[in-house]
Parts: sequence; structure tokens; C-alpha cells
Amino acid sequence: MTAALEFQGVHKSFDGNPALVDAFFIAERGEVHALLGENGAGKSTLMNIACGLYSPDHGVVQVNGEPVVIDGPMTANSLGIGMVHQHFKLVENMTVAENIAICHMSSSGRESLNAVRKRIGEASRDIGFEIDPDRRIDTLSVSEQQRTEIIKVMMGGADILILDEPTAVLTDEESTRLLDQLKSFAQQGKGVILITHKLREVFSHADKVTVMRAGATVEASCDPGELTPVELSRLMVGEAAPSESLELRTGGDVVLELKNISAKRANGTTALDDLSITLRAGQVYGLAGVGGNGQTELAETLMGIRHIESGEFTLGGQVLKRPTPRELRRKGVKTIPAERYIYGLAGDLSVMDNFVVSHLSSGTFGPAWWINRRAILRGTLEAIQEYEILGAGPATRARLMSGGNAQKLVLAREMSGDSRVLLAHSPTRGLDVRACAAVHEYLRDACKRDVAILLISEDLDEVLAVSDRVGIINRGRLVGEFDAPVAREAVGQLMVGHA
Amino acid sequence: MQALSLSFLRSRRLTIEVRQKIHLVPRIAIIVGAVLFGLGICIAILVSRDVDVASIYDEFIVFTFLNAYGVSTVVVHSTPLVLVGLAAAMAFRVNYWNIGIEGQLFMGVIGCTVIAYYDIGPEFLRLPLMFIFSLLFGALWALPSALLKLRLNINEVISTLLLNYIAYYIVLNQVFGPWRDPKDNFPHSPAYDDFERLPKVGWEDVHYGIVGVALAFAFVWWVIERSRFGIQSRFVSANPRMVVAIGLPLSVITLISALSSGALAGMAGFTIAAATEGRLTFQLAGGYGFSGIVIAFLSGNRPLIVVVVAFLMGGLYVAGESMKVFYSLPDALVGLFQAIIVLSVTASEFFARYRLRMAHYERV
Repeated sequence: MTAALEFQGVHKSFDGNPALVDAFFIAERGEVHALLGENGAGKSTLMNIACGLYSPDHGVVQVNGEPVVIDGPMTANSLGIGMVHQHFKLVENMTVAENIAICHMSSSGRESLNAVRKRIGEASRDIGFEIDPDRRIDTLSVSEQQRTEIIKVMMGGADILILDEPTAVLTDEESTRLLDQLKSFAQQGKGVILITHKLREVFSHADKVTVMRAGATVEASCDPGELTPVELSRLMVGEAAPSESLELRTGGDVVLELKNISAKRANGTTALDDLSITLRAGQVYGLAGVGGNGQTELAETLMGIRHIESGEFTLGGQVLKRPTPRELRRKGVKTIPAERYIYGLAGDLSVMDNFVVSHLSSGTFGPAWWINRRAILRGTLEAIQEYEILGAGPATRARLMSGGNAQKLVLAREMSGDSRVLLAHSPTRGLDVRACAAVHEYLRDACKRDVAILLISEDLDEVLAVSDRVGIINRGRLVGEFDAPVAREAVGQLMVGHA
Repeated sequence: MQALSLSFLRSRRLTIEVRQKIHLVPRIAIIVGAVLFGLGICIAILVSRDVDVASIYDEFIVFTFLNAYGVSTVVVHSTPLVLVGLAAAMAFRVNYWNIGIEGQLFMGVIGCTVIAYYDIGPEFLRLPLMFIFSLLFGALWALPSALLKLRLNINEVISTLLLNYIAYYIVLNQVFGPWRDPKDNFPHSPAYDDFERLPKVGWEDVHYGIVGVALAFAFVWWVIERSRFGIQSRFVSANPRMVVAIGLPLSVITLISALSSGALAGMAGFTIAAATEGRLTFQLAGGYGFSGIVIAFLSGNRPLIVVVVAFLMGGLYVAGESMKVFYSLPDALVGLFQAIIVLSVTASEFFARYRLRMAHYERV
């Protein structure tokens, strides 16, 4: 049987930095092939070559046994290769139907939006996703956006389907449903390539696994049944990272209290519904839930950029009416936002500027009329050292840092100075194992310094690993609260149950 | 990091690769190369109009930059150019696209002419009052667009552009109406008195406007490079949503930048009216507003480079003037050359962002 997609000796470097070194990979039809590796291992780069976004510096790409030059996504499309990217390729100010119509316009000619809408309805029923074709992309949550992406590619009729970490933002149940669906696609004779770093998915759903590390293939087309989880994770990271056990914290005084708050989205639907949360000093409160159930709106409320319609916002015993971002920050409410380059960092500015910008009014870096550039440099260098921000100097542009280091920079800025409350919204999304561990370590450190932490995350493993108290948000309501240790299944059921 | 690709051959092809970073030296080399490329086209145009290369060299280099009188003329011409360049840079760096510099410049001139025409204030205070009023009028003319933008989210490109025409018609109304010079009945205001004019420093026609320019430069440099406001305002263009989320006053920063921009434009008007023209005329803006946009763009909104670019642009004006006189070439030539150089530099941005490279694609 000829392979559906084959790479031989592929090299690719970006501006002199090698991303792929002699990589090879063979995927057959009729199988779910897991491509496993840490962040930066080259998985996405390899698959971006398959879908025509990158061209290899060197090496052979074959589809159905024929050497091909994939010089753009259109070519990839005509070869039947479709990819769901980790970072969504959607036009934010257009609706779901419009986004999908644009992608299929060239292949199927002009199709009326109504027809596309109808087809979206059918496709989403087949897949078991619910999506309103008339919602604008920027009103969708991250997980809803991903559903749109998956439907888009599936509607494109791809027969080699590549998904880049598709379950990263789904719940356990949704993930299982998606993976089952992928499995049935494979059984229908399609090739499914699943980029992932979750071992559980490899064992439960993959027929083959290829492991990449540092741009090279370290294990190719192996049957996952022949490997133990420990062996597989060792292949992936080189050596197993030790997991730290944590002691339970009961928490001190109440620092921040939200009482019966309600808020609406721009389109009038209810985002937060009579929600109450209490944060205590020195405690991590983990808020679990499927994306799009009000987490974003809750985070925006705590950042002061969204005003609540009813309810009480109490900080340090004082009721705040219409708190502004400025007031909240001055009172020590800090944020690690879900979208780093939207609320956390300015990608085109230097590490130094990004580090000092919210500390300027403290006076540490000179008076308003004359900034102390030496103090800024010193402060930034200290932060780089303390937070182990690697591969970046004070003058490096923030966009050039890896995800983990960029997140550490946000942490360094938010944690310096007086902090009483830290909102961490999906702080490890897109980070590799080591960077995740570092972020969790900093959260624990902050806890020791009596900061009250609210961890909002769609990754249940993360919530369970770090939190002292766990709340579950579903359709804008708090549907359950537990003290750690928490039963995974109970939380999972509340996350997906009808609230 | 998207790589586009051009297939020339199946096995070897030119790929376009995104540069992760670019060092200062190649960056400068690319810009200098682009300017030389643009100048090459300009020379070709002149040669095609029967101007020989030797006289191009004489006019553009020897008589403008290598000769004391030439340099002094260039300095006079660059005085308002530096100011409009700084005005544009001040606004552009917070992504406030002030296209209304020309109108703000005109209003600055109206401001100082009000003082001069109605003889407001004692003689020794007349000039300072004219100066202050030109700043005020310039800033006031920038205010409506800024408020519309901040309050109602009305595009400032449109509103500032349209206010140019309103300012121009106000000037026409004044010089054809109440302020028409009774001495010669021409459409301009009566000449300012001697004490209402900027004195000369004693080197050819160079006037004390250059002190104003030095102060304006120092102010803008300080604001951008050394003040707390400078760092905060960098984020306004780099990531406005973050500015709001970390509690910085986005509106205030934008408003201050827009008003400073207007005031600097008004000041440019003051130097033209009080030094060069000596009265309000309806031609005195002479496209300065749009040159300011060009200068700010070419200098990447950096104050020191604004000064350098404005000086070179002044040279272009001076040489263009003599081309007009001695070779009877049209006025539009200066504008055309500006446009060619701007387009070359804009296009060169491609080479700063991408690198061209041959990639191998093996056949089996």
C-alpha cells in the first residue's frame, strides 16, 4: 500500500535556526497517526509543509507515492490535504458561515450563504458539534472557534486530515467524541494525522505514533500498544520530568469577593448568571469549565474592562462600584491574560518596555518627567534572571520570544510590586511541559506570598494539579465547588452537564 | 511566519523567508539603497528633460549643500519642514493619522495674524503673543477631530483632511474680505510691523525661527525618548487593547499627542508668516502639511532623523526652485521626486522583513 503522505530527509530552518533536521514521517490511509512531541519539536513545522504554508529547504514530500511540490494551501487542498491549525485561521469580524464560504468559494464556485449555512448545519450535526452559523467569530470562545475550524476543514472534503492539538481546548467528553469521530474517518479510508502532546490520546485513539524531538524524528510509525507511557514520554522529552507533590493550603482572609454577579455579552446573551466566587489569600481557586461558558467575561470583569449589570464586587472588604482597570491594578489585582499578545504584551516593543510599562507610576524608574533608563535596564535584567527568561535580552522584541518565555515575562511584570490577587486565565495554553511546570511553580510561589489566585483554565488536569479549591462554571453559573482533593469525574460531569 | 514561494524550477526555487530580526547595519543599508534607487529614477527623469548630469550635480549638491549661501537657504526652507515633520511624528506614533497639518498650520498663521492685525498687547510682547497664539490656534484646530475620534470613533483621517479645506477657506475669506491689504488691494493681510517679525540671526536669511525649531526638537525628543509619557504612548500604537487593560489613560495620551501635533503645525505657520512672508497669504502653506507626513514616514517618527530628513527635503525644495527658474521645469517636479523617494523607501520595507533564498527541492 502506498503511503498517503510521506516525508523523507526534510530540512527547514528559519532565519538560520534549524526547525527540522532530516525529519521523516509516513502516514497511511485508514489510520489515526499521532505525531507526538514537545512544543518546538517540529511537529507543526512539518505539517505546515504538508499544507503548503512552508516550503522545505531540502528533502522530499510525497503524496500517494508521487513526489509533489506543495507551493500553497490551494495546492494542498487539491491534493486532499486539510489542516486545522492550532492558531485559528479565521476572520474575526465575519460570521461562521462567511468564514467557511470564503474557504470553499474557489473549489465549489459561488454558493449562496444560505446553502453554506445549511451545509454547516448538516456537517455540525454529523460531527456532533453545535455551532450557530450566524455568530461573528469574535463573539465565539476559543473552543467554539476551534469547532468552526474543524467543521471548515471537514466540509472542504479533505482526505488527509491534519489536526494540530485539536483537543487542547476541549473537555474530556468532547475530546473523546472528536477522537472517536476521527477514528471513524480513518475507518472510512481517510488518513488522519493528530499532532498532540497528550499521551492519553495516543494510547486511546492512535493506530500509529511518530515521536519528534528537537526537529528530528526519534521514533517512526510505531504501534502505541508496544510502548508503555513511561517509554513514550521518555522518547518525547528525553527524560521524565519529576512531578512535584504539593501541600494543601486552607487559605487566609477573604481578599476578593464576587457576589451574585451577572453580565451580558454584546449580542444580548447571558454571559455570567448570578455567579459568586470568594478568593482567599494564599490559596489557589481553580475555575474549571468548557471554554465559552463565561470565563472570558469573568476575566474581563476582574480586569475592569467589562461592567457587570448586577451583583457586588468586593475587594479587601471594600465594595467597588464600576471598578476601572487603573483602580484594580493600583489595589493589587494583577492578570495573566489568556491572549498574551492582546492584553499581556506588545509584540513589537522590547522586553524592557513591556516589563516596565505598568510600573512606571510607582516611581521606581524615575519621575514622570525623566525616566531612569539605567534603573529600567537593571530592573529588567533582574527579572530576566529571577524568572529564568531564556533567549531574550532587555532589547529583544517581545514577539520573538517563545511562548514559555513570553509568559514568564508577563508573570515577572505582574508579580513584581504589590500583588493581592492574581488572575491567571489559561496561563499554560500552548506551552510545553517544562514551561508549564515553571508557570505552576510561580503560581505556588505567589501563593506562599499570600496572594489570592484565581486560575481559570479549560485544562482540567491543570486545575486539579494546582488548585486548593475548585469551582465549575457552566453557562455562566457556578454549578459546583469542591475542596481539593477533587474527584475528576464529578468535576467533568458538572462541566458538561446541563446547568 | 509565513513563507511565500515562487516556483521557478521544480528542483531549485526562490523562497521568501521571514526574517526573525534585522540588525541595524543591513537595515540602514536597505534604506540607503532605496533612497539611491529613487534618486536614480529622479536623475533619469531630469536627463530625459535634457538636463545634463553635470548640472544636476551642480544644482542638487554643489549649489545647495556645498556652498554657504545654498546651505543658508536650505536652513530657511527646512525650518518649517522640521516643525511639520515633528508635528506628524508626534501624532503618527500613537497611530493618530493627522492629515490636517496643513489646516493647523494655516490656523496657526491666523492666530498670529489676529494679534498682529488688531495690534493686541504692547510692542515688546507682540512677537511672544503671536507665537503663543499660533500654537493655540494650531492645537485648537486639531481638537475637534481628536474629540470626534475619541468620543464617537470617527475616523481622524477624514475629519482632519476635511478641516484643511475649512481652514483654507477661512484664510481666503480673511484675505479677500476683512483683512485685505488696503495698500495694494491684493488678497493678503497687511504686512506685519517690524517688531512683529522674527529677526534674522545674522547669517544670510536665517532667522530666529531656528531657535524655535531647536526648542521644539528638544521638547519632542524629551517627550518621546525620556519622559514616562513616551514609554506609555509607545504602547498606544503597539497594542491599544493592552493599554486599556493595564489601566493607562488611552484617551488622554491620544489627545495630548494630537494637540501637540496641532501646536507644532501652528508653530510652523508662525515661522513662515513672521519670518519669511511677513503677512498672511493664502499660498504660504505650499504643501508643507503633506511634506510633514512624508518626513515623519521616512524618519520612522524618530525626532533626530526628522531633522535630518527635513534638511534634505529642504535641499530638494531649494534645488527644485532653481530647476524651475533655470531649466523651466514645472513646480510639480519637487512633489514628484518626493513621491518617488517615498515609494522606494516604502517598497524597501519588503527586504527588511523578508530574505530571498534559494531552496532545493529534490526529485526522486
